Amino acid sequence: MNARDFSPEVREALQRLILSLADTKRMLGIRYSDWLLGAPSIESGIATASMSQDEWGHARLLYAMLKDFGVDPVEVEHSRPPAEYCSASCLDEPFADWAAVVAGVVVVDGTLSLALERFATGAYDAARRRIPKMLAEEAFHRDFGQAWMRRISEGSEEGRQLLAAAVESMLPDVVTCLLPGDDEAELLAGAGVTGQPGDARARLGRRLAEPLAALGMVPAADPPLPGDWIASRRRPAGEPAGDAVERARGDRNRALFVE
Amino acid sequence: MAELSVGLPMHVASHMSGGRDLWSEPLPERPDDPEAAVWRALGEVLDPELPVSVTDLGLIYGVRVDGGRVEVRLTFTATACPCMEFIEEDVRDRLLAEPWITAVEIEQVWDPPWTSARISPAGRRALRGAGVSA
Repeated sequence: MNARDFSPEVREALQRLILSLADTKRMLGIRYSDWLLGAPSIESGIATASMSQDEWGHARLLYAMLKDFGVDPVEVEHSRPPAEYCSASCLDEPFADWAAVVAGVVVVDGTLSLALERFATGAYDAARRRIPKMLAEEAFHRDFGQAWMRRISEGSEEGRQLLAAAVESMLPDVVTCLLPGDDEAELLAGAGVTGQPGDARARLGRRLAEPLAALGMVPAADPPLPGDWIASRRRPAGEPAGDAVERARGDRNRALFVE
Repeated sequence: MAELSVGLPMHVASHMSGGRDLWSEPLPERPDDPEAAVWRALGEVLDPELPVSVTDLGLIYGVRVDGGRVEVRLTFTATACPCMEFIEEDVRDRLLAEPWITAVEIEQVWDPPWTSARISPAGRRALRGAGVSA
């Protein structure tokens, strides 16, 4: 189905879903790039360059879907203030350390992929056509994240504690933002755009069970919507740090803009 | 020039953008089979980083000719391929070098997703010749 085939309410919700996925990918790309240098090994840091590239490629394809809704993706990508971003709030600030980067790959990127899988198997044609390529690229992120998670889990107690703390701080937020259990998620599921949010949360729990067990953790079962939830942005109150949004928008390169 | 990309010598790794120094002379008039002519011309457009054509890489998903207007359905190896703009420009320039082609429309497509399985046998030979496994 194309955008125009859905009811006005579903169209609006679909547009917000696309923006939430695209903005989260864009901010995740920024947060990976923060660690391009300074990782525990040169090779691991360089891997974040490839992952940043993928995240921004995916974000661009997702933003381009907004054309179906009469929205100019260039305007969306390059003109919005931080207060309009719909990215998961755990990406508002840089990852504090490499353990947080690993948690970001496994938890944030992993949840994003699951959200995309649900979207790619739904009724919206543009998602069905574009997302499989993104998921193919994400397979490398998953392998990278899981390998690092194993390495840290089998290492020092201090490393395990850092990783566990990072996972604990991100997981409820990312599940709430990317797999929300609100009325809008029900509306999209009812229209066939995505599956039921409860099913996706259960699937995420199964995927994360093994890596989290190695840290002595169990996946957060069903985090409730926070009190400061902003339905129009599919996230709690707050916004990404200004410097990250300036980079994402390309503020200092306006004179060199080529799109 | 249909076989241009087959067994390309190593030195093409230093070719001009899109292999344009290797492009054949444009046809003097509209060919009897314009679609086949477009595929042949695209077979001369080399990837900016590898000595293999965009057709042998499997990046061309379709071609349609309507009068002097050509539509090309093009994919890329990665969603943020840094060579996207180069490839599109090379494709456009090669086709517009033909006097009978007046307009080129390029549609980016992602379905089915590109994988290395789309590389032709000739493309694999060319890549192996350049020391790239595929």
